[in-house]
Amino acid sequence: MTAPPDTGAHGTAAEQLVEIVTTVNGQEVTERVPPRWHVADFLRRCLGLTGTHVGCEQGVCGMCTVVVDGEAVKSCLMLACQLDGRQVQTVESLAEDDRLGPLQHAFSEQHALQCGFCTPGFLMTATALAYQGGRPSREEIREEITGVLCRCTGYENVVSAIERWFAEDAPMGSAPLAAGGDADVDVLPVPDRAGGLRGAP
Amino acid sequence: MTTTERPARPAAPQRAGVIGTSVPRKEDERLLRGDGRFTDDVDPARVLHMAVARCPYPHARVVRVDTDAARRLDGVVHLLTGADVRAATEPLTVLRPVPGAPQLPYYALAQDVATHEGQAVVSVVATSRHVAEDALELVEIEYEPLPHVVDVLAALEPDAPVLHPSVLDSNLLAVNSDGSGDPEARMREAAVVVEGRFRISRVTALPMETRAVVAEWRAGARELTVHCSTQVPHLVRKQLAESLRLSESQIRTVASDVGGGFGLKLGVFPEDVLACLHAMALRRPVKWVEDRAEHFRASTHARESVHDYRIAADADGRILAMTDVYTTDIGGWNSPFGSAQLSSVVLNGPYRVADGYAERRVTLTNKTPVGAYRGYGQPEVNFAYERLVDQLARRLGVDPVELRAKNMVAPQDMPWRNPTGAVYDSGDYERCLRMAADAIGWAEHRAAPHEPRPDGRLVGIGFSSFVERTGYASSRFLARRGSQFGAHESVTLRANRSGGVDVHTGVSTMGQSSETAFAQIVSEVFGIDYDQVAVHAGDTGASPLNTGAFASRTLIAASGALAAAAEELAAKTRRIAAWRLDAEAADVEIAGSVVRHRERPDAQIPLAEVFNAAITGQGIPPGEEPGMESTSHFEPSDAAYSFGTAAAKVSVDPQTGEFDVERFVLVHDGGTLVNPTVVEGQIRGGLAQGFGAALMEELRYDPDTGQLVNGSMMDYFPPTAADLPPVELLHTEVPSPVTPFGVRGVGEAGTIPPGAAVANAICDALADHGVELDSLPITPETVWQALSRAAAANDDHLAPTPGDLPDGGPG
Repeated sequence: MTAPPDTGAHGTAAEQLVEIVTTVNGQEVTERVPPRWHVADFLRRCLGLTGTHVGCEQGVCGMCTVVVDGEAVKSCLMLACQLDGRQVQTVESLAEDDRLGPLQHAFSEQHALQCGFCTPGFLMTATALAYQGGRPSREEIREEITGVLCRCTGYENVVSAIERWFAEDAPMGSAPLAAGGDADVDVLPVPDRAGGLRGAP
Repeated sequence: MTTTERPARPAAPQRAGVIGTSVPRKEDERLLRGDGRFTDDVDPARVLHMAVARCPYPHARVVRVDTDAARRLDGVVHLLTGADVRAATEPLTVLRPVPGAPQLPYYALAQDVATHEGQAVVSVVATSRHVAEDALELVEIEYEPLPHVVDVLAALEPDAPVLHPSVLDSNLLAVNSDGSGDPEARMREAAVVVEGRFRISRVTALPMETRAVVAEWRAGARELTVHCSTQVPHLVRKQLAESLRLSESQIRTVASDVGGGFGLKLGVFPEDVLACLHAMALRRPVKWVEDRAEHFRASTHARESVHDYRIAADADGRILAMTDVYTTDIGGWNSPFGSAQLSSVVLNGPYRVADGYAERRVTLTNKTPVGAYRGYGQPEVNFAYERLVDQLARRLGVDPVELRAKNMVAPQDMPWRNPTGAVYDSGDYERCLRMAADAIGWAEHRAAPHEPRPDGRLVGIGFSSFVERTGYASSRFLARRGSQFGAHESVTLRANRSGGVDVHTGVSTMGQSSETAFAQIVSEVFGIDYDQVAVHAGDTGASPLNTGAFASRTLIAASGALAAAAEELAAKTRRIAAWRLDAEAADVEIAGSVVRHRERPDAQIPLAEVFNAAITGQGIPPGEEPGMESTSHFEPSDAAYSFGTAAAKVSVDPQTGEFDVERFVLVHDGGTLVNPTVVEGQIRGGLAQGFGAALMEELRYDPDTGQLVNGSMMDYFPPTAADLPPVELLHTEVPSPVTPFGVRGVGEAGTIPPGAAVANAICDALADHGVELDSLPITPETVWQALSRAAAANDDHLAPTPGDLPDGGPG
């Protein structure tokens, strides 16, 4: 994948760009990005992966949640240049060939989406949850998805879909390893709404 | 959390088709794959990005604007100021004017004076959003702050600063009243009058996708294409033409996937006009995506109102009169939909009363403009009258369920006209009430002694019965109010050579599942497979002129248009097929992907072949016109009223005011359910917003500075997955006689009852303390304060010592 030729799409010609090498949905990507771009900017504008949505750019709403090195990350709070050497997974990776993957299928079956704007955030949060191993209870699922807001569904069907996926299909166990990544790179802390700080997400 | 599904559908006829079944949604696959096409996903070549400088004051004169430094920044392409906008455009228009109100001048950029924090003052276009925002830092705007007022009642005081002195002497934009009988006489005669002042907090719809627009102008063709996140693409086209001095034929508006609307995305906003102006000047595409800080200040807010409500009753508890004099806050300007109008329309809720009066006092304040939000006045008035019905029951010493039942409009009374002219079409209101009371265990609760549980908490049960106006009474009703749209919907069906049917609608897709429901109706009426129906939504270039997706009206109106168009196409399909099968049209039927002879199953012809014949005009009967396309418009004969009763069970700590909603039952009637799963989703989603407004959400302004103090996702609390109480849904299904298929709208019902039901439950639990809640949101703090007030008034020792606040936070 290559960046659009128009430098205008990346900002001004004078803006210093940073080269990163990252793996996105299994494919290695080398890109030059403005240092102030966050990961969601990078995914959407450099790679055209518009399934990652932006809702608040404050790390609260969770629309932009992606999986980085196996953990759910709010991609508006991580700079694109921090992706260097890391592995990213987005909603575009979930379908199998041309068919919905099991998690997506469970969301459809349970009517867990209406407008669909928040849906990629829930899908990637659930994907990261599965990488932790184990089978979360309904109450644990409910707690885990509080980092993603939805204004349409009332959440009940989202909980049901994830619960069903874990019961029937979810892959258990560890996350895919980063390709040559530095596992110790700090992720920006995410302020939670109670005012405290915790690791992302 | 438990979910009980107890569908109670009396004698619902079994249908052969897909209406009434929960088929998979048409919308799901693309959205689940991250392949939706929201406005920010539209990315034309050479697109430029817009950012907007906004007034930081609640009320200020714009003294001087200096854009020189911003223009010199590398990457900045174009700027607009108020004077540019004034020269090139007309003021923004409104779609649902406040009756009797003068037009308020409001341009896309502030002229001399800005009337609210967040009002647009300068717009910049640059090579990226980042650079455009850099440029905003270099724009110098000198303001002269003016006296402001943010409290809606203070705005009506004689000494309040007037927001629009060129057209008004005060901040009272208009007074609208409606009613019948002589409620004042009934008040004088009544054995009991209960009254109260009820304050409803300012909240916002908060769709997860903010507003967004992408404008492209082809100067040679004089063609403006506007991708816009809107519920009403055809009305946006109309309003853009009016403001930009273009003909509608020069504008195409496209709303493909909309990330939630809830009433907020109705009509043109200033930034839509600005993006178009920039694009026309530059002949390059221009994109603007609202950031969340802008969304909290420059989209629209909702609900804020103060209701002075009275109910008069005789000694037996028969309601004699109901009146509501209420002040609604419209903010700094009249947005396209203005402040809510339905508190007057459903003044009396489900109760039978001849004498009633509603008076709406629409008031300007130096705050973000108020627009439509799911419920549109119905949750507000429900909180007032349902709180008072419970107080009436306490005054009379009667069971609040029996009091409600005694006063409800009965099935045999309908159609029935309420005091403000609404015609309730049909329904069994009392049955919903009884089902809710049974489900929540009301009889057992009422018989049990009023004692704290072992955990020290008191338990209470509260009810809220409601009606929901869905759809519009008629285009005549709308015309009387100056509304700029009709009560109908329209649709074009077009068969294709692959054997499918394409549905073109101006109703954009925003989560309401209209693509699915429309395809179900076409499949049902035409006989074609559901999978062979494709719905193309929200493009004014492809769809017939329509009204749009709001007021729980889409399906009510569109189902008639869909049915008529499908019947016309089906008849033509049968005629052509019969001719080709050498049979009579009456003897053939459409079944899935073929047309077949009813008695000779081997005599059949693929739909694709019939459609090809029609489209080419080759192989059709003599006298038959070529083509297989139909456009229909349909206006329902009247609005349909959904209805129901909610019951909440709460436990309250009488020392701290902390409370939990332990159960919440909603019994709801949405008429014939086209897709039960989708309807349940609508109800649950509405309830979530209802609980948000009832228990968590409040936009607060500092009266001294006039600033919005919690305008961010960090400080404003829509419910998360962990914040909602367990919900149990039950349904009845009384088909409406005024709509096709008997459907009623279901989009807004859930927003209506949570506030009143929870408040009534808390007041029931704290009845021995004499607590009566009168404002939203209800938080542990407000309950604790009410306990303190009641204790002070009673001068007893039941309440906590004033002083320490419980650390419950926003509950």
